[in-house]
Amino acid sequence: MRRLVAIVAVIVVIPASVAAASDLDDLLERSREASYSAEQIISCNTPDGLRDAVVRIAQDRGDIWIGSTAGGDLEVAAGSGGWTLLRGGDAVTTASVDSSDESVEPLYTVDDGMDSQFLGRSAMTYSLIRDGVLRAELTFDDVSGALVEAMTFLEDGSAFCKRVFISFDATPPNLTSVDPVEGVGPEDDAVVLTDLPESIEGFERLDLYLDDDGSTFAYYSDGFFSFAVFETPTTVTLPEGVVVEVGESVYERSFTAGQATYVWETGVGGMALVGDLPPDLHESVLASLPESETRGLLRRLWRSLFG
Amino acid sequence: MSHPSEQISAYLDGELHGQELAGLLEHLSGCGKCSAELEEFHQVRAAVRSLPVLELPENIVSEADRVVVPLRRNRGVWVGAAAAVVALVIAVAAMVTPPPTAVSVDDLSSRFGARVSLDPAFSPAKVVVPELNLVGE
Repeated sequence: MRRLVAIVAVIVVIPASVAAASDLDDLLERSREASYSAEQIISCNTPDGLRDAVVRIAQDRGDIWIGSTAGGDLEVAAGSGGWTLLRGGDAVTTASVDSSDESVEPLYTVDDGMDSQFLGRSAMTYSLIRDGVLRAELTFDDVSGALVEAMTFLEDGSAFCKRVFISFDATPPNLTSVDPVEGVGPEDDAVVLTDLPESIEGFERLDLYLDDDGSTFAYYSDGFFSFAVFETPTTVTLPEGVVVEVGESVYERSFTAGQATYVWETGVGGMALVGDLPPDLHESVLASLPESETRGLLRRLWRSLFG
Repeated sequence: MSHPSEQISAYLDGELHGQELAGLLEHLSGCGKCSAELEEFHQVRAAVRSLPVLELPENIVSEADRVVVPLRRNRGVWVGAAAAVVALVIAVAAMVTPPPTAVSVDDLSSRFGARVSLDPAFSPAKVVVPELNLVGE
């Protein structure tokens, strides 16, 4: 009888002790390795209004497939440095990158976690705090380790984005493989002449890429949120963009569910910022990048003349 | 019968000699119209030569500048015309030359998405799906 109790205790304790490691990288790493299918609601309260979406997700050991639940035939396959948009199973847009092994010194403290229930399953919810500010609450399924709910917050404590599974099936999905394309490797910082800073508001520049057309792409992360900054010799088009003034400069901006995009011109080319960082960080991050010039001046002049 | 007005003018300027001079004088002797014209030329010359000679005023330079203004205006017209031609050439060249291809933000999003998938924090909470999100907007 004592032997049976010991076995039961091991079975019960193992998932909880893994989750209670309370280290962000460990939690996220375990989540990456999970295999499941789910439906997810994404709802973001952005400065330009509510952005939401419902998507189907299938994840298997680090590769994720996402499709629309609205009957469309668009899908995204992402993982291992690849990102492919498929329509009807055929690749429409694809990108592939390699990375250096640069990592970010953790800026977040993670609490010990709180037991919770999610879709009738045992789960643990952790708070991520950066600089004394609650930035995220992440709920992980105990058994699979899957990240089943993620809430992100603005500095004032209000919610920014909520991503929550509304269905969950822990059966490993059968994902179709996507033909890999050759990945672009990061460049040595010493080789690339760039005025993009190495660090912005706690976000470290992890990798810097140089394309054949002369454009530069830098990837920044603070260990949880991340963004990319692009410098291109030509302009960047943002069809859904609205003109906004952030700080002293004017940009074109677009929000989708979970992603912010800013586009501007510096007078020598186009620039873009794409990322999932909370809006209260946008102004300080943008202020650290090459300033918006030509179009901003023209737009300001236009607005001053015609409102 | 033709009337040699130009030769009359040249005659008055002392530029006719030899057979040309003899031919003109023979013509004048038989042509009342040209003789009258010659007489008018003589009278005009006499009138001009009878005009008094004036001393130039001291501010003749500034006066002359004022006279030059119309010439500058003419030059401005030519400069403007030249600038218009240059602008036209540039405009045509701009229309003929294909513009530099603008970068689509979807391409940039895909590169960001590819890089994010290598991030330790990669999860459904990080996946970039701009195209799909449009469905729910």
